[in-house]
Amino acid sequence: MSQARPARPARRRRTDLTPYWFLLPFFAFFAIFWIYPIAYSFVLSFLNTRSRPWTLEWGFNWGRLVRDEFFWNALGNTMTILVVQVPIMLAFATLLAVAFGSDLLRFKGFFRFAFFAPLVLGAVPYSAVFRLIFNDQFGILNYALTSIGLPSVPWLFENVPAMVTIMIAMTWRWTGYNAVILLSGLQSIPLTLYEAAKIDGAGPLQQFFGITLPLLRPVLLFCFVLSTIGTLQLFTEPWLITTTGPGNATETLVTYLYKTGFRSFNFGYASAIAYTVAIIAAAFSLIQIRLVGGREVQR
Amino acid sequence: MKRIALAALALLVVSMASAQTLTVWVWDINKPALESTIGSFVEMHPGVEVVVEDLGNQNVYDRGLAGCAAGGLDLPDVYLVENNEAQVFWAQFPDCFTDLRTLGGEELLPLFPDFKWAELTEGEQIFAVPYDSGPTAIFYRRDLYEAAGVDPAEIATWDDFAEAGTAMNEAFDGTVKMGTISKGGDDEWFRMLANQADCFYFDEEGTEITVNQPGCVQAMETMKMLWDASVLHPGGWVEQIQFIQNDAAASAFFGSWYSGTIIAEAPDQTGQWGVYLTPAQTEGGVRASNLGGSALAIPASSDNPELAYDFVVNALADEENQLRILFDYGLTPSLLSLQGDPALETGVEFFGDQPIWDLILGTLGDVPAVSGTQFFQEARNVMIVVVNDYLDGRFDSAQEALDQAARQIASSTGLPIAE
Repeated sequence: MSQARPARPARRRRTDLTPYWFLLPFFAFFAIFWIYPIAYSFVLSFLNTRSRPWTLEWGFNWGRLVRDEFFWNALGNTMTILVVQVPIMLAFATLLAVAFGSDLLRFKGFFRFAFFAPLVLGAVPYSAVFRLIFNDQFGILNYALTSIGLPSVPWLFENVPAMVTIMIAMTWRWTGYNAVILLSGLQSIPLTLYEAAKIDGAGPLQQFFGITLPLLRPVLLFCFVLSTIGTLQLFTEPWLITTTGPGNATETLVTYLYKTGFRSFNFGYASAIAYTVAIIAAAFSLIQIRLVGGREVQR
Repeated sequence: MKRIALAALALLVVSMASAQTLTVWVWDINKPALESTIGSFVEMHPGVEVVVEDLGNQNVYDRGLAGCAAGGLDLPDVYLVENNEAQVFWAQFPDCFTDLRTLGGEELLPLFPDFKWAELTEGEQIFAVPYDSGPTAIFYRRDLYEAAGVDPAEIATWDDFAEAGTAMNEAFDGTVKMGTISKGGDDEWFRMLANQADCFYFDEEGTEITVNQPGCVQAMETMKMLWDASVLHPGGWVEQIQFIQNDAAASAFFGSWYSGTIIAEAPDQTGQWGVYLTPAQTEGGVRASNLGGSALAIPASSDNPELAYDFVVNALADEENQLRILFDYGLTPSLLSLQGDPALETGVEFFGDQPIWDLILGTLGDVPAVSGTQFFQEARNVMIVVVNDYLDGRFDSAQEALDQAARQIASSTGLPIAE
């Protein structure tokens, strides 16, 4: 067949390849800096890299993962933040978004900026300031607590208060960001729905639960997935504010991953942790899309 | 044509310069300290240029490891490494640094104390030369001690220290404490006290886990006794400085290098500070231990290993250079020949003209040797947690806490627990 008409298919093939030649630099970079590390860390997770020379031991790191109390502690801490802090933050963000959109609020631009501003601030100064606010002896928070007759709290030096500190800091930093995303969702809800509801005699609460919340669901889902992935990758706050302590009370999956990889140089075990984090993140996203978004898609 | 000639000339100049330039990677105060030794080095090797670069502590470590991982690329001629972290390099990258024996390094062995060499040698190989040490001591505020009626000369044991702390609490209604302990952030207090009791995470050869041995149990109990007596503030590095600046800490327990930090952070407290020896854990016990310290190594990729070696020896094994580094920059020499040197009897103004260096250096010979091993960070991460849980009362006894620590260190390092 090819002997009969040699010229045309060849030329067509050449033209078909042309775009790929243009894309080659990208693919080369993608292969070197993305595919290769992803594949290599998968291989690493099966090597015993505790000390040189590295040896192949299939279940070494994965077996340790199952038994490692420090890993389970980090997983537990991360899940606690996920289950407690994320819903609280998104509830706040939803209320804020409604307030941002409300006609009753004046100086909207200022408020939107003010709540978004924490995100613009660098992570290091923000953490330093929080460390000062939550300082045991000289912090303004304990000063405020004692001045109204409450006992001062050793925020950074006991397990539960340290976790609460992290959650407060994260909520302060990320609520405004989510509120702005939710606000954009809010603005896409047609006003005619609210007018119709008003004519039918629905109060503000009924409007919120009957119209706003159901129609915000896809945007809320988006925020949920983003926050879940963000929490699973949580590093800055525990690293800089509580230094993952006291002890490992605020250790997260990624701070533990970092310590394993770049303080202990156990790259194999660190790779196993990294893959676990990625698998958990993917699983959570799938579940959330199924639970919340599935119905939306079907509709 | 002219341009080519110029380029050739430039190339020649560059290659000539690089043949006679030594680069040194250090952090912080080590830059001016080592720069102060260049003059005497250049007298021995005229025409050689020495460039000391301050990359910052973490960066030196990170770039050093990256360079070694890349097979010796982008490394300086002289490299500053912390003692505790040194064995990570020797274990992970045994070919990255020059064995100083090939340059005559065995001549240095008797000049420095054994505890400094433990982490810098691997078998017969010598990978780095001891620089500063961190013999511990108690830095104290003369005025606050006096106000509370505490006489530092009478503090010989940690029990005495706790008793003085009670007096301090009464005198200042609890706002001024005897010291600061990093609770749940680091395990420095454990390491200092354990070292004093001749115990460490690992044995001296770094082959067994010894963290649940009697000396470490004693260290834990001493710490718990002090914590329960509420004579210490909880606080990390930054908080301790805040306590010092705000007159809320009457003393600090740390390696000798902390003197430089106090002087830099609380310059207005000149003359109000003093030093006494680390209290013993039992009546008449050892009053010495060590925390931290660093060493200079020569990467195997250096083009001028002999020159680099001469630089290191001149900086670290020369009494005159080491005395200047001590008095001008507060870095404690490891050089044994300086013990008893009359120059050490010079008073230090910040410390009320007390000759603190004579006192502190006198303890160097009593410091037990330890081996940080390549698993230092793994063990430290475990101990930070266990110490904190023990202080919070989540263990019934120090032995139980340390038995658990030993099991966890074993599971992350693969080393056996000593019988």
